[in-house]
Amino acid sequence: MTRLEPLENPMSSIETKLIAATSMGLDSRVGSRLALRRSKRSGKDDAALIERLKAGDQNAFETIFDLYSRRLYSVAQRILGDVADTEEVIQDVFWTAYRKAKTFRGHSRLSTWLYRLTVNAALGKLRRGRKNREVEYEQFLPKFQEDGHHLVRPVVDWSDTLEESYAKHELQQLLKGALDQLQPLDKSAVVLSDLEGMPDKEIAATLGLTVLAVKTRLHRARLFLRGKLAVHLGHSAA
Amino acid sequence: MVKRKGTTGVSKIKNCKQMTALLHDYLHDNLSRKLKREFERHLRFCPDCASFLNTYKKTVAATRSLDPETIPAKVRNNVLAFLRKQIRRIGAFLLCTTIQLLA
Repeated sequence: MTRLEPLENPMSSIETKLIAATSMGLDSRVGSRLALRRSKRSGKDDAALIERLKAGDQNAFETIFDLYSRRLYSVAQRILGDVADTEEVIQDVFWTAYRKAKTFRGHSRLSTWLYRLTVNAALGKLRRGRKNREVEYEQFLPKFQEDGHHLVRPVVDWSDTLEESYAKHELQQLLKGALDQLQPLDKSAVVLSDLEGMPDKEIAATLGLTVLAVKTRLHRARLFLRGKLAVHLGHSAA
Repeated sequence: MVKRKGTTGVSKIKNCKQMTALLHDYLHDNLSRKLKREFERHLRFCPDCASFLNTYKKTVAATRSLDPETIPAKVRNNVLAFLRKQIRRIGAFLLCTTIQLLA
């Protein structure tokens, strides 16, 4: 039987992300991309930027914009799924960051602060009147018999056939659609974890949740996404 | 949901439902050594859980392989133009206020 390696260690360092991505059968470029997205700036670099910003240095602000606008845009766009809404959110986030820079005490990383502003703004926008695309998770979650064994047996291992069944673009569309059906906080956790490579602890700080709550939401969301893929492939989600 | 690393008195994994609840922590290497051993022992004898784990891992991998959304140049320029305008406006306002205070 193939040995099943854990994905990553609890600290979720960039190196372990790379190993994790490879161990999951991913192209190593995906791991590299995650690493690139999360390329760590030193706290000193960010502190210096913030100090310059507090002193009214507009160049520092534009440097922050250059450094973070792509990543924050990607996160907001994934949560909102709408270009116009995302533009508004990004505009608000950077304007808020500029105005509130003086209140930034450096207890968290600059990136965490900016992610928090972005996710809060995106979730706020979702709450204010977007049509709800969430679906009931239940039908896509695993089911068990009374004795705790899988309800539908055998469980089909479709992991090797996913790429054969769908072209890359199709699979991406399918996953985007499934992500959009997640509850907003669950979706935010998945976006920050799987697309931004953020460790659970930082996600907790960003979303204002406990680490345990983040893990629970991530797990449930992944079970749901797995169920959606299984059903699309013609298998039982259970 | 999970027993933390280093905890003692961990009960044995009795069935697939318990295995599924531990997937996240197994994949993030957050299980105690004993629980991890039990988890992997169950996998050796339960093809259903092995299949479930493989498909769960594949789902995470597929999600991670999603391309990032790129910020369109037009949006980027719009936002930057807005921010620069707002900053100039604030600068002018502060200058006027200072002059008024000094007058």
